[in-house]
Amino acid sequence: MLAREVLEELKARFGASVERADVPAENRLFVFVAPSALKAIAGHVFGDLGARYVISVGADDRPFSGKFLVAHDFALDRDHLLMSLLALLPEEAPRVESISGVVPAASWAEREMKDLVGIESVGHPYPKRLVLPDGWPDGVHPLRKDVRFDKVPDGFDPGREFEFGEPPPGCVVVPFGPFHPTLDEPAHFRLYLEGERVRGCEYRGFMVHRGIEKLAETALSYNDVPMMAERICGICGCVHSVAYVQAVESAAALRPPPRAEYIRTVMLEIERLHSHLLWVGLACHILGFDTLFMQAFRIREPIMWVAEKITGNRKTYGLCLIGGVRWDITPEARTELRQVLDVLEREWRAVAEAVSGDRNIQKRTRGVGVAGADQVKECGLVGPVARAAGVDIDCRRDHPYAAYDRVEFAVVTGQGGDVFARLLVRVREVFESIRIIRQCLDKMEPGPLALTVEDDLPAGRFGLSSVEAPRGESHHFVITGEGNRPRRWRVRAPTYQNLQGVPGMIKDQRLADMTIALGSIDPCFSCTDRLETVDVRTGASRTWSRQELAALLEEEAQGRRP
Amino acid sequence: MARDVPLAVLGALTNVVLVLALSPFFQGVLRKLTARIQSRQGPPLAQPYYDLLKLLGKEDLESGEVPLVQRFAAYLALGSILAVAGLVPLGFRAPLSGAGDVVVLIYLLMLSGVCTLVAGLASGSTFSLLGTSREMMTMIALEPVLAVAMVVGVLHARSFRLDAVLDGSVYAAAVPASGLAMLIVMLFAFQAFVGRVPFDLAEAETEIMEGPLVEYSGRKLALFKYAQMVKLVVHGALFVALFAPFGSRLPFPLGFALFWVKVLLLVVFVTLVAATHARYRIDQAIRYYAALLAVSFGALALASYGL
Repeated sequence: MLAREVLEELKARFGASVERADVPAENRLFVFVAPSALKAIAGHVFGDLGARYVISVGADDRPFSGKFLVAHDFALDRDHLLMSLLALLPEEAPRVESISGVVPAASWAEREMKDLVGIESVGHPYPKRLVLPDGWPDGVHPLRKDVRFDKVPDGFDPGREFEFGEPPPGCVVVPFGPFHPTLDEPAHFRLYLEGERVRGCEYRGFMVHRGIEKLAETALSYNDVPMMAERICGICGCVHSVAYVQAVESAAALRPPPRAEYIRTVMLEIERLHSHLLWVGLACHILGFDTLFMQAFRIREPIMWVAEKITGNRKTYGLCLIGGVRWDITPEARTELRQVLDVLEREWRAVAEAVSGDRNIQKRTRGVGVAGADQVKECGLVGPVARAAGVDIDCRRDHPYAAYDRVEFAVVTGQGGDVFARLLVRVREVFESIRIIRQCLDKMEPGPLALTVEDDLPAGRFGLSSVEAPRGESHHFVITGEGNRPRRWRVRAPTYQNLQGVPGMIKDQRLADMTIALGSIDPCFSCTDRLETVDVRTGASRTWSRQELAALLEEEAQGRRP
Repeated sequence: MARDVPLAVLGALTNVVLVLALSPFFQGVLRKLTARIQSRQGPPLAQPYYDLLKLLGKEDLESGEVPLVQRFAAYLALGSILAVAGLVPLGFRAPLSGAGDVVVLIYLLMLSGVCTLVAGLASGSTFSLLGTSREMMTMIALEPVLAVAMVVGVLHARSFRLDAVLDGSVYAAAVPASGLAMLIVMLFAFQAFVGRVPFDLAEAETEIMEGPLVEYSGRKLALFKYAQMVKLVVHGALFVALFAPFGSRLPFPLGFALFWVKVLLLVVFVTLVAATHARYRIDQAIRYYAALLAVSFGALALASYGL
């Protein structure tokens, strides 16, 4: 159904609860509803209309409308529609009914809203802290407009601990992380083990939260943000940069020139290539198959070199501006890229055969870490994890952006939803990416690289953008603002949703399978933990000086906690 | 006789020194070859020597539950496997072969395995305990295979004496059926005995953070690493002595060299298998060992009928 049809359907069903709507394009819908009806409407959209849950956003809109804003984003992939259900909450009572009961995938997003904006989701099944550290004082919500980005709150309590639940009876607690050889970034999975079987899992993460969204709203400008967005992630930076500028462009009705769109597509696919190759190598390493790990990395290296030749850097491309791209792909770079792709395709075919035919690998990955189509829907899983379960979603086809509507490619799906299926999906997607890049290089016409945007962008406009990162859908929500910067910017990386599916994937599986199950979602904690607490260790802090904190750590190390 | 004892002890010490000197070299071969298979340069062949030296000089943090027992386990690990070296022919007749018999050999081999268990238990960390439980399951399923191989030799040689058994005695039947069966079984089991991929689950770095050795560092870790290297060589020597002793009667330089060439070939075999496999999970590994054990008992039955 197109945007207007969905709107009519909602108005017909919910009457006056649908207060107003914004239909800026056929594939975008913003519906403002009464807060009391939000849960019912969200349940209807998720259940009856079969939409896919994307993210929930909380925003402090008090300087502009005097209220808090809650938005629940959904996607109707078959209809190529991205929509948002919004509600305005009174300043003195920022509470709304939790939708996690009807949309389980919203669990984390609602906890984050509570932590960072102070919007409480009443009736949430697991209302514990998600983002803020344990010792952070209550009542200080960093994303509120009256909190400075460099505020160091009083009353940080280092002795306060996170309350984990009770382990199931007969289970031993095994801490997985924050330090573990398989994890590149810190995360804590508290595993409840019965023998070698995992019976339960609790997650505590967000240890490297960096305050990126807050900085974008307070200290950066529109064209500074892409540089920051690229550094959200150590692998999929380009995705976030493109998703952000597309969200702003969508809000401000800007269409970049065709050559810019092709260049964005090429770089996004180059990123997909190096990410998938890295992941396949990493998965083999986790399984103890170091030979394939080394070979995958060897095959991957030329892509990194050609990326460096094109952009100046192996991974952080410095690609996007609002309205276009910053540099061009020269004819020499094009030739070299084609050569690299030819060699890559040949070598990867050998790896693909090795991986798919190897019985040893299959023994370790078949039936492991299973997430079926039901769990995909419930937890809002995306990317290769969803496609491996047979769920046919891919933002490049469902919500076309950049030049994807002008190239042909197949969406690779698998079956079984286990780690082996995810492995095969990623291995095969490499060939599709190569195909896309070749088509782009053929079809690119000379032309301008960026629009000249002379006027200020209109404020208060909403923009949504979904980009298919190597790991899944990366969704950005933007409200344009004053002072040449956005009012609100919410980044939802694919791992944010996929991590929520991990406890279900590892339940009743063996410990040895846990690492590969976790690795199979290709977790990118830096994408997930986009925001970080303000560093209390800076010398300017009034609460704790560096010496005091160091002394504290010393005492803890010697077993004498204060 | 009284004057043989000092000679035997000297001979045993020679064995020990030989094994200590050569094991890191074989480890270096393994690493270099693995690297080449992985399209890498690889470390120099002498790297394990450097690694051991470096570890011996590093800080020895005693962070486990019972450091005293950890120390004991480390010394015993190296000590027991070196004792085995004294009993096994290394290209010449084993100097202490009169001092013990097959039972002592089996006992000492099992002791070196038990040291890993003790190490893991004394460390007391969650991961070391996980590794210990895996190692325990492995030992229960796997050690009998080696014991059966030697008992087959005993049955054919009609003697428990080491110099009789460790001389290709498994084939000493009219139809060497049990011998050949055990040869095949041991070839399939060898990788597990030396604890390399796909059977390195007790110390799976990516899963349980080195397992029993996670709380070891510095000197004690060096002892364990050394013990692992020596184990590779000693098991190789044992395998050659039991199943491929051809040429052992050649005069000194030739027989000696031939023996070590055979051990080298075994190391190459281990490397190739390790480079082309992913790690097994504990239940898959146990099933594998159980199958081997079943065949071994079949071979034992054959041997008891003189085959």
